[in-house]
Amino acid sequence: MRNGGGNVFRIAAGLVSGLLAASALANAPASALGKGDRELGEYLSSMCVACHQLSGRVSGGIPAIVAWPDDQFVAVIQSYKDGTRDNETMRTISHRLSQDEIEALAAYFGSLPAPKTP
Amino acid sequence: MSLNRRHILMGAAAGTATLYAPAVIGQAKPRVVVVGGGPGGATAAKYVARDSQGAINVTLVEPGASFTTCFHSNLYLGGYKTFEEITHSYDELTKKYAINHARKTAAFIDRETKTVNLDDSSTLSYDKLVIAPGIDLKYDSVPGWGREHETAMPHAWKAGPQTQLLKKRLMEVPDGGVIVMIAPPNPYRCPPGPYERVSMMAHVLKATGRTRCKIIVLDPKETYSKQGLFQAGWEQHYPGMVEWLGPKIHDGIKSVDPRTNTVETGFETYKNVALVNVIPAQMAGRIAHEAKLADPGGFCPIDPVNMKSRHDPNIFVIGDACIPGDMPKSAFAANSQGKVAANAIRHELTGSRLFPAKYTNTCWSLIQTDDAVKVGGAYEPKDGKISATETYVSKPGEDAAARKQTQAENLGWYAGIVTDMFS
Repeated sequence: MRNGGGNVFRIAAGLVSGLLAASALANAPASALGKGDRELGEYLSSMCVACHQLSGRVSGGIPAIVAWPDDQFVAVIQSYKDGTRDNETMRTISHRLSQDEIEALAAYFGSLPAPKTP
Repeated sequence: MSLNRRHILMGAAAGTATLYAPAVIGQAKPRVVVVGGGPGGATAAKYVARDSQGAINVTLVEPGASFTTCFHSNLYLGGYKTFEEITHSYDELTKKYAINHARKTAAFIDRETKTVNLDDSSTLSYDKLVIAPGIDLKYDSVPGWGREHETAMPHAWKAGPQTQLLKKRLMEVPDGGVIVMIAPPNPYRCPPGPYERVSMMAHVLKATGRTRCKIIVLDPKETYSKQGLFQAGWEQHYPGMVEWLGPKIHDGIKSVDPRTNTVETGFETYKNVALVNVIPAQMAGRIAHEAKLADPGGFCPIDPVNMKSRHDPNIFVIGDACIPGDMPKSAFAANSQGKVAANAIRHELTGSRLFPAKYTNTCWSLIQTDDAVKVGGAYEPKDGKISATETYVSKPGEDAAARKQTQAENLGWYAGIVTDMFS
């Protein structure tokens, strides 16, 4: 399922199959995709990718957040939410996210491939 | 429009697409036209095209082959970036997501027939239209200054040749010369922008040994974005070089004379000014006014739930041209609004899932090398407008490591957001 989700960003290669894969994701219950609602996560990720690159490329002071285990992703966002980690931007983002939304983001970003050259 | 490989591919997908396109069964593929290829327009075009995977025909109306960002143009002024580093081609965006790039200027919008007329007399029909024209300058807002004077007294508030001109003129200021910036009234593009620009001007003057220069800011506003942070930074890094005057002190701009480089206020007349930077009042881009999408205040009211125009259910207005509630007019905000609009457009045209609008913004400003500050927030639709749910601003007196980290974020954000917009 993770590989199928990756097709979302490869329009040129296999357009029709990508469309079918995305449709299958949209129609599948969240429980079948893992803990988080991946499609919700993809929408919410639009907040994150203004800074964090989908390719996993690291630039300046903005770290990569793709291909993390779901639990790790959730724990990091929680650490901003509870104040363990302190960055105003991330604190503000984390405060607006429900547990379901954090898990959705974890499912989406976790499904993306790690960059080939770190 | 000629038939090419892209259209054949898109046609192949159309049969599948209509299964999920209740609004267009029995019709041709739905058409989205985006007017303006800045941060808002490029983002909306990309997100509609990418996420609909060929089910929607997207056309971007933008005369330029590339876009020079206003954001980080101050870093170009300060010598931290080249002009090429803040200029981005549309090629990858349009090819990767099969976006039709109409290299034309939108002449006018016919809302009755749902068409955009281009400056070569051709027309584009739309099912949904995204208007992202950015700002137009009010050339009559500063007495004595007009469009014909923007070479003598540059505004540099639209990135491009004006930005390069301002830098050239800054480099020509002699030691001991006076620079006058006429700051804009609210609302305007990039609230901290004028003050970051002052910082970058002072940085360049100091770095080139011209510390006897003075930058005078004549502001029509009593307060401005990150005021305490900028003023503390100017005192720390550029002592005696920056003087900010609010309206109670300067008593208004009475006139400017571009022939003699004179600026007259109710308080003082500045003669033989080495560089006058006039940042005038602003309004939504022309096409939004002509389509009767703007209010008397000059900007376009929107539904905060989806960025839809209050005046037309088939038109979305995003970026600097809209009335964004608590959000500032910034590239980050335009990018965020473009994504909300794209989600709503896809839902209406193809029946894709509709998610609640969530907006974000952060504006970073560089004061001196490794000394950056930021302001930002999270926003949601509430009480009929885009309302802030939480905001933050850098704290006064932060240590150097925090400010350096903020600048590292700033540089990383730029790389991230131009990737998000243009590739």
